[in-house]
Amino acid sequence: MTRNTMIDGWYPVGLASQLDAHGRVTALMGEPIAVRRGEDGNAKVTGGNGRDLPACIRYGHVWSSLGDPQKPLFAIPEADQPGRRLVDVGVVRVRCSPLRAVENFLDIAHFPFVHTDILGAEPHTEVQNYKVEIREDEDEVWATQVKFYQPQAAKSAEGGITTEYMYRVPAPTCSVLYKTCPPRPAEWDVITLFVQPLAEDLCDVWPWMALFDDETPMTDLIHFQQTIFVQDRSILENQIPRLLPLDPGMEIPTRADLTSVAYRRWLKRHGYTYGAQLVAQ
Amino acid sequence: MKLYDYALSPSCYKVRLMAALIGMTLDIRPVDFHPGCEHRGPELMALNPAGSIPILEDGDLVLTESSAMLVYLAAKAAAQWLGNDTAGRAARVQQWLSFSHRLTASLGAARLHEMLLRPGNIAALREQGIAALRELEAGLVEQHIRGQRFLASDRPTIADVACFPYVALAPDGGVSLDPYPAIRLWSRAVRSLEGFIEMPGIHRLHELTPAPVLEVGEA
Amino acid sequence: MPAQSPAGPVALWRTRSGRAAAFADRCPHRGMRLSHGFVRGETLACIYHGWSYAKAGNCQRIPAHPALTPPDTIRVATQHVEDGGGIIWISVGEPAAGPPRFEGLAPLRSMVVEAGIVALEAAAGTKAAGGLLDYTHDDRAVWLLLAPDGQARTLMHVLVDENSNPDERIAASRAAEALRRAAEDIARAGIAR
Repeated sequence: MTRNTMIDGWYPVGLASQLDAHGRVTALMGEPIAVRRGEDGNAKVTGGNGRDLPACIRYGHVWSSLGDPQKPLFAIPEADQPGRRLVDVGVVRVRCSPLRAVENFLDIAHFPFVHTDILGAEPHTEVQNYKVEIREDEDEVWATQVKFYQPQAAKSAEGGITTEYMYRVPAPTCSVLYKTCPPRPAEWDVITLFVQPLAEDLCDVWPWMALFDDETPMTDLIHFQQTIFVQDRSILENQIPRLLPLDPGMEIPTRADLTSVAYRRWLKRHGYTYGAQLVAQ
Repeated sequence: MKLYDYALSPSCYKVRLMAALIGMTLDIRPVDFHPGCEHRGPELMALNPAGSIPILEDGDLVLTESSAMLVYLAAKAAAQWLGNDTAGRAARVQQWLSFSHRLTASLGAARLHEMLLRPGNIAALREQGIAALRELEAGLVEQHIRGQRFLASDRPTIADVACFPYVALAPDGGVSLDPYPAIRLWSRAVRSLEGFIEMPGIHRLHELTPAPVLEVGEA
Repeated sequence: MPAQSPAGPVALWRTRSGRAAAFADRCPHRGMRLSHGFVRGETLACIYHGWSYAKAGNCQRIPAHPALTPPDTIRVATQHVEDGGGIIWISVGEPAAGPPRFEGLAPLRSMVVEAGIVALEAAAGTKAAGGLLDYTHDDRAVWLLLAPDGQARTLMHVLVDENSNPDERIAASRAAEALRRAAEDIARAGIAR
């Protein structure tokens, strides 16, 4: 078996705001790990055999790695802009491949059927052409000029608007979405999906947001995003196979799925195959 | 009337669903149940020492049990939902209301364990959940034989509203609904009711709306 | 609705005009189970992206591309279905003959039993003939049409005399429940041993 190239990546393992000395026991790619606040106040993560694992706190979460990260955690410059409200949405566990969870996040065509009357509604089902690229310098997947009609795009949105999106995949189990920001048209709201791979077919999903919205109570923001994600959960738990098929013959993409096509190609190129199925079974 | 509510709570959804079905408006006060554990905070503990939600407040009246809330809403605005016109039916409604708490304790706890990482013996919870689903299936088969589509009569009552959410969300806790055809038909009957609203995990019946006809280029 | 066949899970559905159809329970687009989908007119649509398929399995509409006529290559595998006397039959290949008929019997309900056919036969004290178990309980006859789902699970369709009144049907349903409990006890004891 080849070495799991995802082992050196950073993964979310808990909410920074809930970090305490008692800690929590969780797992990363099949290995049990413990996450707690150390005596120095920093996050302390230990692996199955008691060894210390790399740890950092960023974007509301504790991040760790089973291997030896060659790069710092990816940057989200917008997250540091003053005036944004940072929203810890909390964990939701899903019995699916971590890669399927990310791919679903990159998809807009399901909005009218799964997020009916919130992120989409019939008859507005058409996905217009958009741009997708693998940016070689950053080594990230990007989709831009994605537009979709939405009945209630955000908690702060009144009535239907055509929303513009940009999607970014900076790590195999993380995606950052930039979305039209109704109160501040010149800025983008940032909505992320950070996925902790517990096993190849089981993950803890930690959505997180950095929004310009001074009006909406924090709890409403949390509930809005939890609602959206839990609507997706019943889809994710019923896809067959559980692992993401990288064999092109296994599933049928259309023009609307170009982000997913690029994501799968990028995963394959890097050998990011934890949670993937290479050959049809 | 004020409902202390959590969007992902099936018990809170019972109350929202009941209100929607009888055309009543509630004043919703969202509670940060997860991840914030606000229901265990001082404000809500003062209202409900049990530390659970939903809580329904109407003037001096504070209710903390969802079945009582269903009774209250129905009695206030749509008494036919009480299903108490005969002794037998009244008893049957009470039977299913009590039964619904077993659904909460089994399927509901399995769902919290599998979805929001709450503690619990998942194998035992699923086993209890399956036993409850089998009981419900048998009850619905018998109702069907009697020519009745709902739990206590041929029209929906608070018993259906009390049982529907945790049953419909059983798959969230890893309990399949595939083996229960009568539950499937009943669930469709509930979801087809005028005024029905969804919650996350329960998808809309898109078959109730016609296929859209859209001019090409319009979006 | 979801169902099982020897060729794997199927989505069993009925068109608006009343014709039954069986699809492999997987949308070829993103692998979502089609049994979670919705029927509109003569098509079954996937709940995930709304791709809809005609009874013959060909994709008819992709909502993300409303102007596109889907190529004929996008299709789901179908299985042959027959509706006989209130029982839906599936055959994996082309059947040589129609499904069996059970004259004088009416279907009552379907149940999943967590036990194999052997345990059901032991609980009933009689052997199945042609997949049909003739079970007498408290002087009342109930017929059980058995379809194995692996070694340890059986799909049991309960049939009663078509002239049974509602009380007799309820009694038959309860008898089937009792038989299931007994069969599952036997299966559990077998595993424990």
